[in-house]
Amino acid sequence: MDVTPRYLGAGSFLSRRDPRLLLLVPVLYLVAVAGIDDLRGVLLCAAAAVVYYRAAGIPWRGVRANWAVMLAFTTVLVVVNSILTSVDTRSAGDAEVLFTVPVTHSAVTWTTLSYAATIFLRYTTLAMVGFPVAFNIAPSDLGVAFARLGLSQRLAYGVDLTFRFLPSTWASLQETVDAQRLRGYEHSRSRNPVKRLITLGPVVLPVTVNALIDAEDTVNAMDLRGFGGRHRTWMRELAFDRVDYLVLAGFAVMAAAMVTAKFLGLTETVWVP
Amino acid sequence: MNADATTPREPVLAISSRTVVFGAVGAALYAVLGLFSFLIPGTQAVAVRPAFALVPFFGKRFGVIAGFFTGLVGNMIIDLLTGSGLTYWNWSIANGLVGAIAGLIFAYMPPIANEAVRLIVTALGALLATALGLLFVITDIWVQGIDFNTFLTLNYGPALLSNAIAVVILTPALDALWEPLSKRTGR
Repeated sequence: MDVTPRYLGAGSFLSRRDPRLLLLVPVLYLVAVAGIDDLRGVLLCAAAAVVYYRAAGIPWRGVRANWAVMLAFTTVLVVVNSILTSVDTRSAGDAEVLFTVPVTHSAVTWTTLSYAATIFLRYTTLAMVGFPVAFNIAPSDLGVAFARLGLSQRLAYGVDLTFRFLPSTWASLQETVDAQRLRGYEHSRSRNPVKRLITLGPVVLPVTVNALIDAEDTVNAMDLRGFGGRHRTWMRELAFDRVDYLVLAGFAVMAAAMVTAKFLGLTETVWVP
Repeated sequence: MNADATTPREPVLAISSRTVVFGAVGAALYAVLGLFSFLIPGTQAVAVRPAFALVPFFGKRFGVIAGFFTGLVGNMIIDLLTGSGLTYWNWSIANGLVGAIAGLIFAYMPPIANEAVRLIVTALGALLATALGLLFVITDIWVQGIDFNTFLTLNYGPALLSNAIAVVILTPALDALWEPLSKRTGR
């Protein structure tokens, strides 16, 4: 898997927006869809999420592997928890039972299916509004975006630094695996998790220690350049424009409306067609 | 042996260049190594993520802030790379809390001279930090609408089991390896 930050949505509507907008929208969307059991409510939010995702202009071939993993994981989670078992489900006492799952004896009704669809849609659309954070924000903008959102300047720089370290850490991991293989290292195929963990030592330990030794040089370099002064400036200037405010206001209104509906009890019942 | 190797030399919540860099290195390591996990045979979906051992290790060695940063940002990057986005934001905070609690536990722990005892205490401290930090996923009761039993049997229990295996084995191993190097660098 490629862990290098990929800027895939260059030139798209969302890439031209202030990166803070792309960080705030998923938070507002999460507030909007959290705890909603009514499929119609989530469908309304999903429409906004689809439009938002389309505006990101992320090419399908660039993220199909990510979507495959995400959809497979979500499908398994929802089917197992909400349909095959009664771990995370809703039921109506007098609902018609469509069928009973053999081993778990879980009764599947329209309510069960509607709730499962709601959960699936909630997770999928959360991923839709989350993808632009990964693929539409230039990695070099992340630090300044977090700083302008009120995070400590030093920690914001830490976020920036983390993304800079990703490619070198990945390269170091591959070099270490290759070097250890030359020395006869083989990854354990044992079913014993403890044995498998122990055999990972020759890879995890040198990669970590090498990264820490290199980090000492980075600390010294930053200290020599006076890192941590009272006022830090950033090369990149961020400013919300009118379109940014409109998009943000749209999602804020949606979040406020859904929270109000939740408090009024309008979205707490599973919708059955 | 210098038993004061992990004694805090600055305020516990101070954010220095060292905190920032080691937090960032920890998050990058956790993000890269965290992509590798394997299922425990016989369980439904209990996956051991070996890199989780890095979170209490960074908390212990580099402090509360670096530990929190490693767990929070590292887990968020893993979620971004795998496509989950911010769906499981509370799990990222729980990961961060594991690092922060490990930092707190070891910051106030008296120095231990005996190496074997130090490694055992490291394993136990990391395990305690994991057990306490992961409790934050109780928020799934409100975020995902699950009940307490589900939280205990499907979320917290399996996560604690799988991560406990990783921290008990790998965190002391990392600590033992870093101890002489940290003394060499005079930190």
